[in-house]
Amino acid sequence: MTALSAYRTDATLHLAARYAIFVVLILVYGLAILVSEAFLQPSYLFNVLRQVAPIGIAAIGVTFVMIVGGVDLSVGAVISLTSVLCAVQMNGDAGNLPLAVIVACAAGILIGTLNGLACALTRVSPFILTLGAGIAVLGLTQIYSGGTARGIVSPGFREFFNYRIFATVPVLALAFLGLAALGLIVQKTTLFGRRLYLIGSNRSAARLAGLPVARTIVLAYALSGFFGALAGIALLARSGVSNTLSGQGLEFQVLAAIVLGGTTFEGGRGGIAGTVAGVLVLVIAFNLVNISGLPYHMQLVVMGVIIILASAVHGGLNARTG
Amino acid sequence: MKIARRPFLALGALAALGLVGVPAFADQATDKMQTEKAAQAVDTAKFKKDGPYKIGVSAGYLSNSWVVFALQHVRWEASKHPEITDVIVTDAAFNPAKQVADIEDLLRQNISLLIYWPVDDNAIADVLKRAVAAGIPTVQAGGGFTDNEGTVSNAYISQWQLGEKVARQLMADLGGKGKIVAMLPIAGTTAAVDQLDALQTVLKEFPDVELVSTEYGDWNRAKAKQITENLLQRFPKIDGVFSPAGQMSIGVAEAFDEAGRLTEVIMSPGDEYNGWLKWVAQHKQGGAVTFPTRAGQEAVKIGVDILKGNGVTRGTAVPSIYIAPADIGKYVDEKAPDDWWASELPADFLPKQ
Amino acid sequence: MALKHRTEKCAAVFGQSDAQSKWLRPARTDVETVGIWALLAAAGLAAAIAIPAFRDPANLANILRQASVLGIIAIGQTFVIAAGMIDLSVGMIAGLVVVLSCLILGGDPSLTLAVVPMMLVLGATIGLLNGILVNRLNLHPLILTFGMLSILQGVIFTITDRSVGRASPFLQWLANGEIAGIPVSALLLLVLAGLAQLVFTRTRFGYHLVAAGGNAESARRAGVNVRAVRLACFVISGAFAGLAGLLLAGRLGTGYPLAGTGLELDSIVAVVLGGTALAGGRGSVVRSIGGVVALAIISNVLNLLEVSAFVQMFAKGMIVIIAILLNQPRRA
Repeated sequence: MTALSAYRTDATLHLAARYAIFVVLILVYGLAILVSEAFLQPSYLFNVLRQVAPIGIAAIGVTFVMIVGGVDLSVGAVISLTSVLCAVQMNGDAGNLPLAVIVACAAGILIGTLNGLACALTRVSPFILTLGAGIAVLGLTQIYSGGTARGIVSPGFREFFNYRIFATVPVLALAFLGLAALGLIVQKTTLFGRRLYLIGSNRSAARLAGLPVARTIVLAYALSGFFGALAGIALLARSGVSNTLSGQGLEFQVLAAIVLGGTTFEGGRGGIAGTVAGVLVLVIAFNLVNISGLPYHMQLVVMGVIIILASAVHGGLNARTG
Repeated sequence: MKIARRPFLALGALAALGLVGVPAFADQATDKMQTEKAAQAVDTAKFKKDGPYKIGVSAGYLSNSWVVFALQHVRWEASKHPEITDVIVTDAAFNPAKQVADIEDLLRQNISLLIYWPVDDNAIADVLKRAVAAGIPTVQAGGGFTDNEGTVSNAYISQWQLGEKVARQLMADLGGKGKIVAMLPIAGTTAAVDQLDALQTVLKEFPDVELVSTEYGDWNRAKAKQITENLLQRFPKIDGVFSPAGQMSIGVAEAFDEAGRLTEVIMSPGDEYNGWLKWVAQHKQGGAVTFPTRAGQEAVKIGVDILKGNGVTRGTAVPSIYIAPADIGKYVDEKAPDDWWASELPADFLPKQ
Repeated sequence: MALKHRTEKCAAVFGQSDAQSKWLRPARTDVETVGIWALLAAAGLAAAIAIPAFRDPANLANILRQASVLGIIAIGQTFVIAAGMIDLSVGMIAGLVVVLSCLILGGDPSLTLAVVPMMLVLGATIGLLNGILVNRLNLHPLILTFGMLSILQGVIFTITDRSVGRASPFLQWLANGEIAGIPVSALLLLVLAGLAQLVFTRTRFGYHLVAAGGNAESARRAGVNVRAVRLACFVISGAFAGLAGLLLAGRLGTGYPLAGTGLELDSIVAVVLGGTALAGGRGSVVRSIGGVVALAIISNVLNLLEVSAFVQMFAKGMIVIIAILLNQPRRA
């Protein structure tokens, strides 16, 4: 092999590695189309987008945290808490809507900030810290709700989010895409975004270089909490009830989507675009398995296999480029 | 995919009214046999004690509104009996091993009566036997009829009969022909198994009705909606939906509505889940076959009778009644949350709103 | 001696002076190693003084019985975490074993002698699969074992969707029985923990494991077969999960499909409470058991205090947070 062709192969592999998840997405989508032509219809596709809005929105926030080298396992509990808070504040009255949204977001930001302070100022493992925080927040949610899904959604709230622009695009799907775009802008253009990558790659070097490490980390976790709150509101819009368990366990789907998308636990790489692709892979996989009429238990097996295969393709491409 | 739950599909489990257990599953023949067994008398002499009484409630799960209401009914009934001084509640959070531990802990706290709803009947069968052997009567609340040595009596709800009522009403509304889909709760639970069996038994009498798909929505409104969106893609014509669980019915109906196909489908009765009742009031179809939360109340009544040495039978059915759409106004509470159940609980025993 | 040579070689790479005597020196006394015992002692003492029902020997026996399933899983998880990885599939491995063993034994309880080793091999095989996939596909263990969890759950549901079968009397005795007032399961846990701790601290494998967890690249250069170590850890984790599944089957008496749900997270919490860092590089099986017992005591105390399950959940979360805040690693 000549030097030039070796270089070309290497460059192609590099490109492939960076965009591995998109390759996987195209493959999975292709498979989906083979299984059912529903995947070619815009209204169905937007439905799928709407389904995944809560996970997707939460995943945007957690991506920031993972870029900087941490992890946020409390996001599922934050979704539960904020959806209950929001519904109770609304109390069936349209006038309460702004306050309800503010209360929910404030709760998310508060929890995120606390997580961030603990992770930035101490040497605890973010995995366990946010796991514990998640359990505690879930307990709080259950204490607050008493076990039922309290609260009544304001009239017009769900209708607004489920309204379809041009008779195809639900507002909720648009909201998800909008937030993803916002996240992408923050990641690529702001100083904060660049610092995330630097700190994630090498925390001590960043500190020595004079970067505000603690502040950035706290901000990343606070953002994660904020997006978690938005996800809770999205969940409320989608299901209409603040089911206290609705958020639980979502954190691992979020994690799977993010890691599929190329953002790793070590930090310093990946990004929102990959996360969105990862989220789409997961939701297309779920729907493709469901719509193909496979029995329930097979769906679980197929989901697991897809996750492993997608990760393997991704990992394989990354390994080859080092 | 769920871990702890999941991974988190086990998640689905957490939303469940899972009542799993071999004795409690029923088809038509078993259901009849259970009714006969339920009528058998129980020898309560060995459980007779004087007050004051301490009641232990071992809840398999407390994380959905139905059981919360059932528990409130327990507390309400207990408050009416001055000789009951204490109600201790443990929550196994869907973990059968924990429920075994919980019951062991309750027994050590000298309770006079044990009321329970299981995560899994078989898992706690042994510890219940030990309770009975120690002279503590056990009453199962809200699940199917449990025929075990360790269960002295039941305040039971026959999911089979509930499913049958729902199926028959759907057949009547459909006019005896068409394609239907079934939306069931968590696969493997008594509710799911019995309801499906009842539906299939009724369908034998209606050869012109075809069940094109059986889905499991895990008592989750959003999931039922998502699954229905896929069903709408797979089947160009769906005439009826068999969905006895009101909270899933809402999700299913919304999916039809958004696809513009609500007019072509007939919804079966759901249960008295308030959100579903609101939908029925608005759309004037569907109705409800109740899944009464007052099973908790019945259980306490049975328990007190046992403690006083009165005669009880092995099971008291808490019957499901049909509420026509026209009568829904009496049961729906527009001001209460969706996740609420029509009941006669007085205001200070209602769960928090 | 080979061990001494390897030890010194590794020590040179890791920059530890006097590695061999350190190897033989007794454990250090710092927050990390002592923390969990302090927590355990405090919790136990407080409970014993404040709650009479806690002191009841039957209650204490129950606590040990309840802790043994998780304890056995935590042993395997300690190996995996110390090697710098994580195993999320252990809960479902245990669940699969519960269902399969009850299914088989429900038909013929006398097959116990055959079923026990079969289930251990099954667990070890799944662990082997995990290890091979992690090595070959270069996957992060979190993602791989998470996917495996989903697959196993699907397999369980393919076998049955409701509880099946019955555990044999032997398994039930193992889970619930007592010898001289001490639960058999606790004795089993003690023996296994002791053996595991020996392997961990006194064998070449244990040393390589910790080296691989601390810094895989340096370990590789020092001659440690990191891939083999990782494979072995997953096999151990799987086998222990299988054993825990047998015990769980005995405890439940029936093959409940969702029996293993949540065990993997609880095991990770227990291991971390015991002072083993998630980053890998060190750990102690005995301290993980301490973590398991601490969790069991706290749960028991809260039950005896009639604290609502919701509050218990909140308390559990706060305990985890406080415990790790107090128990931070000394180096980043």
